Amino acid sequence: MAGSVVFRQEFAVKGGDFAKAGAVACRIKELLKELGLDMQTVRRAAIASYEAEMNIIMYAWEGLMKLAVSPRQVRITVDDKGPGIPDIDLAMTEGYSTATQEMRELGFGAGMGLPNIKKNADRLHIKSNVGRGTHLEIIIHANGHQP
Amino acid sequence: MTKKHLHAIHITQDKCIGCVHCMAACPSKAIRLRDGKAKIIDELCIDCAECLRSCPYDAIHTHTTSFDALSAFDYKVAIPSTVLYGQFGTAVLPNEILSALRRIGFDEVYDLSSICELNCAATEEYLNEHPRPRPFITSTCPVVVRLIQRRYPALCGQILPIEPPREIAAKILRTILPKSLGVPSDKIGIIHITPCSAKMVSINSPATLAKSFLDGAISVRDIYPQILAALRKNEEDALMRHLFPETLFSGIGMGWSLSGGETRGIKNHRAVAVSGIQDTMRVLDQVESGLLQDIDLLECTVCPDGCVGGPLEVENRFLAKSRILELVAVAGEHAVVDQRDASRLYHKNFLSFDHPAPPVESHPLDGDPAKAIRMAKRREKILAGLPKKDCGVCGAPDCRTLADDIVRGHARLDDCPFVTKEKR
Repeated sequence: MAGSVVFRQEFAVKGGDFAKAGAVACRIKELLKELGLDMQTVRRAAIASYEAEMNIIMYAWEGLMKLAVSPRQVRITVDDKGPGIPDIDLAMTEGYSTATQEMRELGFGAGMGLPNIKKNADRLHIKSNVGRGTHLEIIIHANGHQP
Repeated sequence: MTKKHLHAIHITQDKCIGCVHCMAACPSKAIRLRDGKAKIIDELCIDCAECLRSCPYDAIHTHTTSFDALSAFDYKVAIPSTVLYGQFGTAVLPNEILSALRRIGFDEVYDLSSICELNCAATEEYLNEHPRPRPFITSTCPVVVRLIQRRYPALCGQILPIEPPREIAAKILRTILPKSLGVPSDKIGIIHITPCSAKMVSINSPATLAKSFLDGAISVRDIYPQILAALRKNEEDALMRHLFPETLFSGIGMGWSLSGGETRGIKNHRAVAVSGIQDTMRVLDQVESGLLQDIDLLECTVCPDGCVGGPLEVENRFLAKSRILELVAVAGEHAVVDQRDASRLYHKNFLSFDHPAPPVESHPLDGDPAKAIRMAKRREKILAGLPKKDCGVCGAPDCRTLADDIVRGHARLDDCPFVTKEKR
């Protein structure tokens, strides 16, 4: 994104804060609409950022979501302090979940989080340090800007 | 309301004192104070009537059809919302209310509960035939349709494409009455009676029809005194209606005006009802984020408790709701619609939208994302210097909206009283 116009904003997310579930994803969605990105890009970013936000709320202690928007792409980077993901390939499997019974009863933890992010992103990088935290980089190209 | 009105709500300038109540209540931030008076921004207004509810000075009024305007028609038909049955206490039966409408000047009056049942049957068929997407969202509340078109355009394809009962009823009458009466269609006035100002907008500029089948909407509030007078005058008529009921009400459709009333008749699918503008927006946000896909049908009504909480009703909504619940209990599961009729009309597409609700262009900061990004950055800088007290004195509902107005060129930084004070 170097050189081009970029809008950046950061959002802090607290682990366990189910009362605010989805609030950051909503703000990101509103911003993208105001920035004039097309409907489908906004929706993909909304879904991906919702899942990323929920992953922090459900599993991590705290996290920071950074949004960077250029006319060509939306990048959402997520850094959390949390237990990390021991086996990323396994976590990327649809239906695989480490959610507790409590979370499932609330309708969360169906094991679709990361797969759903991947499905809606053009690029997804995951790095995780077990016991330390997880880093995600989600890139969504705005329509008409496929690389 | 004539064609030139985009919205059903307007501010009566003489009565507006320029307080901030309506501006703070508006969920789409469509109101600003300019020259000491509230102004509605047409492109942003969704006709939810939250402003009307919150105005302490009775300065917000609606464009609904006046009773006198009906003189333009040779034959006048009323199709009242089932909300009307809850407006006159527990002693007055729906049949008496329909009869009173005839006495005050309508040539014929039709109950909507049966058409609500018809709509339920069609909805079940549609959901059976269309396993995706999920959830579908019902179109009964015209504000919800407008909200989706403007704020959740990606969900336009999830609006269930079956017309609401008021339009279906009018379409059936419009098809049959000219032939059976021998009166030209344009001389037959089909009028909805409603507690909702937004129905007028859906009649004047329908989102999913080439033209509405209704000719107007009279508010419950406007017609209430005449109905009440007619009810009081005719005790004998009341006795007749009690002893010889002429309309059979549908138990499935009777509770349609209560939140959950539309979904109550849905037996084979998972349906969820939401009411109130804030909760509706919260749930639509979730749907837009890909949630609630395990729900087949989402009923959203922006008025609290459903249409029974409409801004133009007379009876307190809790009493009205209680009365309608009594009527629902009496009617039970009584069905009046032949499923074969419902299925035939559904498969002829007689109950369908003419076209899907089109997304309405949102209002990005600029059509060019590069410019919009620059403006958004400027907006953040401006917002950082504002007090974030959201006092409304500047004429915008909150500091963020003022910052937004400034970058769009509709306001100036020194509109903020705190900023100017510090400068001095």
